[in-house]
Amino acid sequence: MQTFALDPNRHRREQALIFICLLGLSLIWLMPFVTVFLSAIRSQGDLISRGVFAIPKTLQWGNFAKAWNTGDFPIYFRNSLFLIGVKVPLGIIIASLAAYPLAKMRFRLSMPIFIFFLAGLAIPVQVTLQPLLVMMKQIGISNSLFALIPPYIAFGLPFQIFVMRGFFRLIPSELLEASRIDGASEFSVFWRIMLPLSLPALATLAIIDVLATWNEFLIALVLISANEARTVPLGLLQFQGEHASNYVLLMAGIVISIAPVIAIFIFLQRYFISGLTSGAVKG
Amino acid sequence: MIGTRSLRWQRGWYVPYLFLAPALFFYGGFLVYPMLSSLWISLFDWDGLSPDKTFVGLGNYIKLFFLDEVARRAFLNNVLWMAASLVVPTGVGLGFALVLNRNVPGTTAFRAVFYSPAVLPLVAVGLIWSWMYNPQFGAVNVVLKAIGLGAIARGWLSDYDTALAATFITGVWAGSGLFMVFYLAGLQSIDREFYEAARIDGATAFQTFRNITLPGLSETHVIVLSLAVIQAFKVFDLIYVMTYGGPGQTTQVLGTWMYFQSFQYYHAGYGAAIAWVIAAIVLAIAVPYIRRMSRS
Repeated sequence: MQTFALDPNRHRREQALIFICLLGLSLIWLMPFVTVFLSAIRSQGDLISRGVFAIPKTLQWGNFAKAWNTGDFPIYFRNSLFLIGVKVPLGIIIASLAAYPLAKMRFRLSMPIFIFFLAGLAIPVQVTLQPLLVMMKQIGISNSLFALIPPYIAFGLPFQIFVMRGFFRLIPSELLEASRIDGASEFSVFWRIMLPLSLPALATLAIIDVLATWNEFLIALVLISANEARTVPLGLLQFQGEHASNYVLLMAGIVISIAPVIAIFIFLQRYFISGLTSGAVKG
Repeated sequence: MIGTRSLRWQRGWYVPYLFLAPALFFYGGFLVYPMLSSLWISLFDWDGLSPDKTFVGLGNYIKLFFLDEVARRAFLNNVLWMAASLVVPTGVGLGFALVLNRNVPGTTAFRAVFYSPAVLPLVAVGLIWSWMYNPQFGAVNVVLKAIGLGAIARGWLSDYDTALAATFITGVWAGSGLFMVFYLAGLQSIDREFYEAARIDGATAFQTFRNITLPGLSETHVIVLSLAVIQAFKVFDLIYVMTYGGPGQTTQVLGTWMYFQSFQYYHAGYGAAIAWVIAAIVLAIAVPYIRRMSRS
């Protein structure tokens, strides 16, 4: 009775209908981006008199340069990039080091330690904030970017250890045995065999971590108050506070602060969309 | 399997711990230790700055559970957020995944579009939607007026009745993409042959969905729903940026209320108690999720 899936005409019509629905949904989904961008490239007067959906009369690309300079974005970008440059490689190496014994060595505490790390996935940042602030003051690095690096690493570890452990377990143990027989130390097995074979997983984690570090807000909000140490999300919020009613400038600032993550997403998405689910759904 | 053979090649019991040491240092020192320290702080009346604190035992928790109207409202808002999160962004994500799983042209591009908000900083997402909701110039009201619904146009974020829902919708926009990705992965792991068999047996589309697709996604549901609940109790950025807990504290959630108590009003002990309540709720909910992950 129900043989519609075999009927090619019906099938084609169905596909066309789905395609059109998807197109409509995409337009709705992209609308916030469109209104921000359309507002960022016009003059305030044009926006107010003609509305957010009108095509701008004249293009005012200067908004971006003005936002970039008046908003201290060079400082915020430098800070966020510095943080990424230090935190991402360091965090991933530390996570990989920890994942190696959890995946490939047998010792009594292997499972308890793994679960101990996994529990971190459920720990809300809030529960660490006040003590972190006190600690950073005591160490004397509060209000500097260095205060952010240790907690960022700590909060990144659970997911990264989970993914790396899963990936390491897929690497055949015979490979390791062979070089152990040749007298290689555990560290050189890790460094010369495990890491090079794990480049796809490492790349995926790096991209996810770059985005997470660029986007992190709450820890930075509590530990950083000096303008010179602000990261991009803090800086953007500061910029919003100063230009709340200069809509076109504010929108230009938003575009500036999301441009890097959008670019990373467009060019590297195939690396991380699949990586997000790695291990989580199917072993 | 690693088996016992590899045991022979270990140079001593401490080798695994050498590899684990840096991770344990950072995780222990900057996550676990501050977490426990917070529990200690939550037993005191303390401004977070001065050297003296007053021990109040469970006083902060008693205040939180019985005396603080705003905290009650905040907790209720988290529960509402959670209930809505179990249905809306997860349903939207599942819907996107089901449609994109049907090999229509342009799947990759559509998937990227629906996922794209998830890569943005939530601060930017909050500001973008504050602009969407702008009473005078925002796209939401402009569209409503254009389709003849100008009567319901309003300041969505300053209206007591709509501020929380408006913020939640922003979260749906930003969060559905991740669930879509999980569901797509789940759908692709269902054996094609089941569908073939169903088709040959003449099953309707609904029967196929009900009896093959949904059960096939049970693993994914656990992950997606757990994540949705965990996220619902961690909400902070969007509220902070879009409503600052207002108007009239109507959009406070535990995450923002903790922040305001600790870092705006300098009630560090009370803030720590709120933080611990969030942590306890999230950890309790996450147990099945973590157990499942540890087995994979």
